Amino acid sequence: MDAPPQLAASTIDPKLLARVVKGDHQAFGQLYDQSSSLLYSMALRILGNREEAAELLQEVYLEVWRKVARYDVGRGTPIAWLITLTRSRAIDRLRARGSRAHHQVSESLDGPSASQVADRNPGPAEAHADQELRSLVVGALASLPQAQQQAIELAYYQGLSHMEIAARLNQPLGTVKTRIKLGMSKLRESLRHCWEHGDRL
Amino acid sequence: MTHEELEDAVPLYAVGALERVERQAMEAHLLSGCVSCHTALKEYQSVAVVLPFGLNIATPPRVLKAKIMAARTPAAVAAEPTAQQPAKSSLEPGEWMNHLFPPESSSRAGSFGWVLGFATIAVLAIGSYLAWNSYTRITEDTTKLAQLQAQANATSSKLAALQQQLSEREKSLAQIRDALQHRASDVAELKDQLIQRETELEDAKIQLAQRDGRRTRTPQDELAVLLRTPDIKAISLVGTDMAKQATGVLLYDARTQKVWLYSVNLPECPNGTTYQLWAMHEKPVSVGMFHMDSGETAHLLVKSLPNFMSAKKFAVSLEPPGGRPQPTGPLYLASHS
Repeated sequence: MDAPPQLAASTIDPKLLARVVKGDHQAFGQLYDQSSSLLYSMALRILGNREEAAELLQEVYLEVWRKVARYDVGRGTPIAWLITLTRSRAIDRLRARGSRAHHQVSESLDGPSASQVADRNPGPAEAHADQELRSLVVGALASLPQAQQQAIELAYYQGLSHMEIAARLNQPLGTVKTRIKLGMSKLRESLRHCWEHGDRL
Repeated sequence: MTHEELEDAVPLYAVGALERVERQAMEAHLLSGCVSCHTALKEYQSVAVVLPFGLNIATPPRVLKAKIMAARTPAAVAAEPTAQQPAKSSLEPGEWMNHLFPPESSSRAGSFGWVLGFATIAVLAIGSYLAWNSYTRITEDTTKLAQLQAQANATSSKLAALQQQLSEREKSLAQIRDALQHRASDVAELKDQLIQRETELEDAKIQLAQRDGRRTRTPQDELAVLLRTPDIKAISLVGTDMAKQATGVLLYDARTQKVWLYSVNLPECPNGTTYQLWAMHEKPVSVGMFHMDSGETAHLLVKSLPNFMSAKKFAVSLEPPGGRPQPTGPLYLASHS
């Protein structure tokens, strides 16, 4: 796990995007190298299909190439921008699938949790910084009751509203809201402890 | 939604679990500049953005990078249909929130501190922009409102002027109608007067005609003319014992074959009786009748008498009403021969 620092998704330098804006192919390649595993993992988690996740990733990177000039460093980190863009496009694609999406979501719910569904074989190129951050997030998620974790993941990775989640789980709406709020509050507290040490994202 | 409800919904918003209407209400609230909700949102969004780091990393296909790099040529990128770019996700917050804002870093100038700085600047910039935008909109709206108000006032003034004109026109029309009715009354009155005048004129004409006719036919006038005729024949009549004061003269105009009996002082005809003039031929022939009323002293009788010259004598008798074919009553006047 002694990956070079520049490969950490959590530490992408905004200057790298500035080079991409100028048409620097090498910079774009580096951006891909640093972020593609994380984005692909998230696309796979949302879509549940490797081919579709790869297809989505191609669309996202081409969109990044076209729209990188719109990135405003004052509005967030590069990886935050990429994660937001990828999640948005993946959820759109998931919803466009209609009934198929429901099937895929059901598969996800029946399967392992978010921290377990992705590829079991982390790439050797995963940056140390990302590994540390991942262990923090996994630990924080693991500390949540299963119901809270499930509600948060259904919202975040399946794009379901609290009403849809309540219907899906056949639970009262207030219960679902409470689970999400409590879960997010606990994650905030857990990760705030991490942020106070200031070496992650 | 109340502020407490909104603040309570911030974690749901950050993880994308709100319904569309709730999401819009939340964004409106955040745009209003609620500091506590902004602060909470930054922290919860930071939680959301690190969630994918909790996934086990899956390596994308090795050929993917090559495909992307190849597809990234200007022609390929240009050929990328815009439709391939999905519309803005209905799940995402507003465009201004597409980038996430991690919470503040307490001590070290790491990534969080860097992000926080930019996030603060972004929030300030957004706040300024929104404030400026709101001010501009308010100013524009105020201006538009004033313009609309001015237009409404102008329209009201025009309407009032038109109503005034309409009222004046109606008044003028009413006056014209009254004048017309007066004129019609005058015309009717004039017609009546004209008819009356025409009637009077007709009467006057009739009277004049009657007067003229009477004047032309007046026996006295004819007698005057007759007296001036040189070849007139005159026979005197003398009152009998029945009327010794009575006298008469009988004139004959040969041109017109008319006789005029001018009698004086004959007594009044009693009980509808009438005087009757006789021309004495072989037998008496009635020439004509006349009546003497009370107070009348003279009378002129004019009759046509073609055979005057053959008459031997003339006499006037008093006869019953309507006269008689032959003398039946006493003689009152008689000629000498």
